[in-house]
Amino acid sequence: MSGKKEGMVYVTTLQERIVHWLLAGSCLFALLTGLGLMFHSWDFIAALLGGHYAMKWMHIFSGVVFAFSLAGASVMWWEHCKFVPEDAEWVKKAGGYLWDAHDLPPGGMYNAGQKMFFWTVFIFGIIIVISGLIMFNPLIFPVTLARWAYMLHAASVMVIAAFFIIHLYLGTFGNPGTVQIMFHGWATREYCEFHKGKWLAEREKKGGEESQAA
Amino acid sequence: MTEYIKLIDLTKCTGCRGCQVACKNWNGLPAEKTQFIGSLQNPADLSYDTWCLIRFDEIENGSGLKWVMRHDACMHCDWPACVKACPSPGALVKTETGAVVHDPNFCIGCKACTVACPFDIPRYSAVNENISKCTLCYDRITDGRKPACVTSCPTGCLTFGPKAEMQVRARARAAEISGVVYPNNPKYQTNVLYIMPAEIRAAQLQHMNPNPKMPTTVLWWKNLFKPFTLIGMGAVAGAAMLHYMVRGPHEPEKKEGGE
Ligand code: HEM
Ligand code: SF4
Ligand code: SF4
Ligand code: SF4
Repeated sequence: MSGKKEGMVYVTTLQERIVHWLLAGSCLFALLTGLGLMFHSWDFIAALLGGHYAMKWMHIFSGVVFAFSLAGASVMWWEHCKFVPEDAEWVKKAGGYLWDAHDLPPGGMYNAGQKMFFWTVFIFGIIIVISGLIMFNPLIFPVTLARWAYMLHAASVMVIAAFFIIHLYLGTFGNPGTVQIMFHGWATREYCEFHKGKWLAEREKKGGEESQAA
Repeated sequence: MTEYIKLIDLTKCTGCRGCQVACKNWNGLPAEKTQFIGSLQNPADLSYDTWCLIRFDEIENGSGLKWVMRHDACMHCDWPACVKACPSPGALVKTETGAVVHDPNFCIGCKACTVACPFDIPRYSAVNENISKCTLCYDRITDGRKPACVTSCPTGCLTFGPKAEMQVRARARAAEISGVVYPNNPKYQTNVLYIMPAEIRAAQLQHMNPNPKMPTTVLWWKNLFKPFTLIGMGAVAGAAMLHYMVRGPHEPEKKEGGE
């Protein structure tokens, strides 16, 4: 599976990549079908998917996939995404993204920005899933609760949609060498030293870069 | 096309239910098997097949016990919360007659309108996977006729006519009996009005919203979070592009400009 590649480090396992793709894919699809419900002027989305009725069911189905992949992702990333003291330093320097910052603390598996993204998706993802389930059958709930569900669903969409785009940029153009981690799992050693120094050192101490892949 | 108003004068309703039957008749709605609920009200509530209902209340006030019969149906709001909430174009439409019309062909059965409506009017059917409600007899009024319920009303409790004319009549009648016109929220007007005698308050009656307005959650949902979803996505996409142009990709060796 992982094997060994010269100058490369195996960063994510197959399971991790599958869960991540399910999460990203279902989120994007739910977002697109949801935007089709939200904006009447975007009815080309419904036209492509076979009408608003079909789109409603596709939305709910992708929402359920999102809920399960969010649960999986949380189990997988919980430990990695706990904040550590160095994260404050990283935030003060904006991770070196906005101005030239030297001596960033060596990163763990994820940097403070990625952790913040995870917790944002986690919190608003839970709100979106619970409110979505209420909207699926609002008539069995008190009307005030049901009304709040519609409002909170839309509010969470606003937050997640914006963060999704930032995440997309930083995972591709913004950080060369990152996107392949989502496809085949490997990144260059140089990349890992730069982005995940602490994680790499700890892993090598435990013995061998390929040993952790599982 | 004229905009119309249906006026309901609570002082004149005898509870004959002619409107209830006429509505079923004109709209081809089947009768329901009902149960006695200890009240003259029958059926107990509006439903997919019952678009208007005579509600029966016993209220007590200074002058003793009072019976109130009330024709309850869609209020045909000027700025309808149901239309605002509906995700499917064409399913709910505010027409130029004032009627808010529902087209089951476009309805996807999401139930958003049932939650948003401040008068709790639309009724969902799981069998048909859509909702239904009073249409203000759009098919009759665009043909120069009055709604079926109004035509059937023997006492003059229900009247119907052009908006301006009916508003004048409503105010005059309210003044005559020292009552009020309901609803009286200038920010949430409707094409259906009630004349309420002074001794009956909306809060005393079942299923009558004493303070009808666009639900705040619907306003925040549609007027704030909805536009800001697009604005937010656009803003961060723009910011990302700008970042790429100004700072370039984030890499170990950054080429400094002056070197
Ligand atoms: C278990 C998960 C989910 C369920 C059951 C669910 C359910 C629903 C339902 C029933 C609606 C229809 C509301 C209406 O037609 O008025 C809706 C709307 C919407 N959903 Fe979801 N949803 C879920 C997850 C998501 C996710 C993950 C996203 C995006 C990231 C999302 C984005 C949207 C959007 C943009 C709308 C349109 C809201 C509007 O019209 O303002 N949903 N959802
Ligand atoms: S009373 Fe309810 S269903 Fe009727 S127009 Fe107003 S919001 Fe829509
Ligand atoms: S149930 Fe039908 S009419 Fe009501 S909001 Fe949904 S699509 Fe519109
Ligand atoms: S206006 Fe027509 S649809 Fe509405 S309650 Fe009267 S008869 Fe029924």
